[in-house]
Amino acid sequence: MPVINPVATFRLLAILLLISVCAACQTPEPVLDNRYQRTIEDTPSASPTQSSSQPVIQLQNQALAAINEDQYQLAIDYLQRAIKIQPRNAWSWHYLADIYWRTGQYPRCLAMIERSTGYAVADDQLVMANTELLEQCQ
Amino acid sequence: MPGTPASRPKRQVAGRAAAKPKRKAPRGSAAKKTLAGRSGKSGQRAPASKKWRYIASILLLLLAFFSAYLLYLNQIIDSRFEGGAWALPSRVYARSLEIYPGLALTREQLVYELELASYSRSENQALAGEYRLLGASLELHSRPFQFSDQDQGDSVVQVFFDAGKVIAVVDSRAGVDLPVFRLPPLILGSYYPQSGEDRLLLSEDQVPQRLIAALVAVEDRAFFEHNGVSPLAILRALWANLQAGRAVQGGSTLTQQLAKNLFLTPQKSLLRKINEAFMALLLELRFSKQAIVTAYINEVFLLQQNQIAIHGFARASRMLFGRGVDRLEVEHLALLVGMVKGPSRYNPMTAPELALERRNLVLKIMLAQGLLDQQAFAKARAAPLGVAAQLPGLNPFPAYLDLVKHQLQLSYSSDELEHRGLRVFTAFDPLVQQNLERGLARGLARFKQPELQAAVVIADYLNGDIQGLIGDRVTDYPGFNRALMAQRPIGSLIKPLLLYSLLQGDLTLASEVSDEPVRIKQSNSIVWEPRNYDRQLHGRMSLYKAFIHSYNLPFISLGVESGGLEALAQNLAKIHLLKHDVVYPSMLLGTTEMSAYEVAQMFQVIANDGYFTPLTTIRSVTDQHNKTLSRIPLESHKLFDRARMIQVQRAMVGVSEQGTARYLAERFGALTLAGKTGTTNEARDSWFAGFSDRLLGVVWLGRDDNTPIRLTGSSGALRVWADIMELQGFSAFKLTPDDSLAWHYIDIENGGISQQGCANSVLLPIPQGRLPKLRSRCQ
Repeated sequence: MPVINPVATFRLLAILLLISVCAACQTPEPVLDNRYQRTIEDTPSASPTQSSSQPVIQLQNQALAAINEDQYQLAIDYLQRAIKIQPRNAWSWHYLADIYWRTGQYPRCLAMIERSTGYAVADDQLVMANTELLEQCQ
Repeated sequence: MPGTPASRPKRQVAGRAAAKPKRKAPRGSAAKKTLAGRSGKSGQRAPASKKWRYIASILLLLLAFFSAYLLYLNQIIDSRFEGGAWALPSRVYARSLEIYPGLALTREQLVYELELASYSRSENQALAGEYRLLGASLELHSRPFQFSDQDQGDSVVQVFFDAGKVIAVVDSRAGVDLPVFRLPPLILGSYYPQSGEDRLLLSEDQVPQRLIAALVAVEDRAFFEHNGVSPLAILRALWANLQAGRAVQGGSTLTQQLAKNLFLTPQKSLLRKINEAFMALLLELRFSKQAIVTAYINEVFLLQQNQIAIHGFARASRMLFGRGVDRLEVEHLALLVGMVKGPSRYNPMTAPELALERRNLVLKIMLAQGLLDQQAFAKARAAPLGVAAQLPGLNPFPAYLDLVKHQLQLSYSSDELEHRGLRVFTAFDPLVQQNLERGLARGLARFKQPELQAAVVIADYLNGDIQGLIGDRVTDYPGFNRALMAQRPIGSLIKPLLLYSLLQGDLTLASEVSDEPVRIKQSNSIVWEPRNYDRQLHGRMSLYKAFIHSYNLPFISLGVESGGLEALAQNLAKIHLLKHDVVYPSMLLGTTEMSAYEVAQMFQVIANDGYFTPLTTIRSVTDQHNKTLSRIPLESHKLFDRARMIQVQRAMVGVSEQGTARYLAERFGALTLAGKTGTTNEARDSWFAGFSDRLLGVVWLGRDDNTPIRLTGSSGALRVWADIMELQGFSAFKLTPDDSLAWHYIDIENGGISQQGCANSVLLPIPQGRLPKLRSRCQ
């Protein structure tokens, strides 16, 4: 059985608390007036299992299934339908970029990553995925 | 020819001459005698054998001629019957309506879309191509459809609405909620061949057997027995005509009629009848009965609508009943079969009584032939004609179709467009177009200028779809398409791109500029002294203020002195809109001429954060068998800096809040919009371009003779734009966050840093590290 050291545990908690406070201090100031700017809530991006609308999730899933079967054109068709419904969905653009990478269409891949990144507000997972894909398409 | 005066004596002479030696000479000696005759050693028998040879030669010649004639006819059959017999117009489809919970769509809008797609309303359970209203919901039975990416069968779907939105979509057969349902697109128009024929083709297995049975019963009862020509039918017709003293009955078989319709002219002559008979025999020799009757059903002329001749049962069925031949009731089939005899005489739209009489006669024949029982006959006979109150318009959206054709012609020839039956899938949105047409009518009614013309483009700037287009104030007039063809100076619509060009230098929206007189000496030594539209001078102010009030002088002086003109030319070139090699200072005032379509392309890139997405009407093209010929992929090219473009967008929001388009703020309140007005010299052109969360609209008003219309961008096009957008329904425009920009309250009079709540202070994006030094006093 591992022995729990109460002093070490307290120290660890204190450090974590300090880090969180500092992180809060470094967070950029909120926008003064959100009349003009698109906020995170306005941006229907994030992952298909979270804030995408139901039809977009459905179409993205169909596109992913098509990608797995190497039916890239069919996948593109699904994603274009998804983008038509929710044009600022960053994941749809990311999946399009992914298909263009798989099919060797690198300039298109880069263009789609740019759009995806532009809409990927506060979605670290997607930003990382875009960064990885960007390296592969360059 | 036997029996003709010229040939008779020849036959008699030949007959006599040939008879004698045949009787006297033993069998087998002819060759020898012929040889002897030829050598001149056999005196008496030589003339007879010479005649035989003469006859044989003539017979051979006739045989050769006849063979050549048959080959010629056969070749005609080959080229038309087998090698794509019909010129098939290309069909242009609207976008597919994706119906899903949350979609902003009312039941009335869905009904409008369905009726445009020739769906008919039913009170009972809907059949394919029908819909019915169930309380606040709508149940539709969609038709099967071959999308460019997949085949979709027919579906029965119930759509529930609440507060202007779809709240649920249910598959009625399976009883499950659908996340999304794709409604097959309506046909928005066709490109017809020069012959003006329109038809839909049925394959052999698509032709309903009961249609064949009815057609054969009425037109050619011996169809399955004869070989293309029916001597008995000819004699029967001859007898009937003799008795009546006029032509009351024809003796042509279905195959002969097909041969006449397909290969020959309607001219009545003996030669044509002979050709027709031989072609019918050849058709029967080479093709199955099923193939022949299918060809007939596809070919026969049934209806005329304006300049277009409707051929074939499939197209006529769609036109008259709004459904395919496989879904017709027996009385509908009977009407169509009856119309074969006289499409004009029995046209149900213009002669309903005669058409009804003829239909009932066909029903009677069907009863007599055992194709109907007494009960079905009585029911069908009692039914009304059941045709549409009005034939659907063939091309009700001419301006959009014109643009589609313009874009298609870059890849397809006119021959392909008019003959090959291409299927063109577009971004056309009938609901957007409907609102566009209504809004335009409402807007133009304000001005009471009958000569005032208009061009409007509505596009989704995020994906480049052109959703609606108008090229004439009479929206269904297929004439000059001003949205595409009318090149007019754009006035101050150039300023957003000019502002972007200036922001590429050291300027920010807070930079102080002067609205003072400008004198520019041109290369021809003439001094150009431009003025503001209000002919006033306004002194010093922020660049933002100069923009929202569209003052000319600061932009001209900055353009000339700060390199803005060259940058503007480069930026126009990036989006393929630089029209001249030589750059003139007057370009800074928007003397460049553009069409509304080109203006829309310029504002697409501005609205979309600097991403250039080519505006398009076409999404994909397939052949008539649904084989994809081309696709227009979603393109996106980052041509401009996003942060600078966001500053331009913010200034355009200012135009609609405080500037020349503040009418929008008065009308729509808190719903933020971005836009720019444009007016040309002496108010000849009135422009407005603006965008919401997703929709971009460009409106031009002017006269074809270029005389003044006494409307500015603000008093003219802006009002029409607002009328259109109000009907479209829209979400507020919002700027994309960008870390390289910091938001500050700026005094728009002097560009200094101000505070929230101070007079003249507005919140503006300023590039990080370029905050103005000036601190403005709060007033």
